[in-house]
Amino acid sequence: MYDWIIQNKGLLKIIYALAITLICAIIVMKTHRLFRLSFHQGIRYFRNAFLFFGLGFFIRYFLDPFFPQYHLVAKILFEFFLVMAGFFLLYSLLWKKLESSKKNYSSSLWNKNIFIFYLMAFIIVVLDLIWNKYIFMFLSQFIIFSIASLVSYNNYIQKGRQRKFLKFYFLAMVLSLITWLLNFVLVMWMNWNQSILMNIYGLNIIVFLLFLFGVIKITNSK
Amino acid sequence: MAKKRERLEVIKDILYSIRSTRKIKPTRLLYASNLSPQMFKEYVNELIKKGFIKLDIDEKEKKTFSITSKGNEFLQEYKIIENFVENFGL
Repeated sequence: MYDWIIQNKGLLKIIYALAITLICAIIVMKTHRLFRLSFHQGIRYFRNAFLFFGLGFFIRYFLDPFFPQYHLVAKILFEFFLVMAGFFLLYSLLWKKLESSKKNYSSSLWNKNIFIFYLMAFIIVVLDLIWNKYIFMFLSQFIIFSIASLVSYNNYIQKGRQRKFLKFYFLAMVLSLITWLLNFVLVMWMNWNQSILMNIYGLNIIVFLLFLFGVIKITNSK
Repeated sequence: MAKKRERLEVIKDILYSIRSTRKIKPTRLLYASNLSPQMFKEYVNELIKKGFIKLDIDEKEKKTFSITSKGNEFLQEYKIIENFVENFGL
């Protein structure tokens, strides 16, 4: 089985990219509709996170194999979008503490708070380019998802009895954290071992399916 | 002490008050909303700007608020929006 997976990894990566892009597209469409009605900033940042995740995976695993001459550009954009997605996901949990509820930015992609994220993402991408490894991205994501796990655990403890999905959301955050940790171990000590990498892809799909499950379950309920 | 209402809940209360009377005068809506005049003004201006309600002025210069189709859509989807925000901790 593993031999077959390794032999067909090119094809599997494309299927993987399409699956995650499709999941992200559904989440973005469903949450965009909720945002257009509610103008809720938390929903807006959550939507942006999945917009960036979708763009990142689509460019790196779907476009990149067909345009190998632009590999470096795809690599840079992939990292930039993924780091930004992590920031947006964390910010969707923390925005209430950092923004006034009266403050309503006309753009959630370009305002002074988000500019700091762009700047940090840019620095992370440049540092990784210099080192020629994804170390800074993995470290930043590890920190982001550690904080996100703590915040979502706190939400679960406070309101978990009334809001059943908080438990799954916390689980999704912890699984994301484990995924990034495994990525870090893989790049540092295991020289991109392909069979472990395929397992990480599988785990990543489970995480995205968990997010999708929550979004569909709640947006389709009446 | 009563719990402070969330922004979404205040919007829902204002829209329900308008919908239940079809047309409502500003002073009556202020009482129904249970907000300070300053806060009321901010919410109403926001709701007009976002197209949830509209201000009608008749020939005698009398002002009334009415709900738009977008405002009605918000009320229909309010439970889903509230559920989403609470279940994802947003």
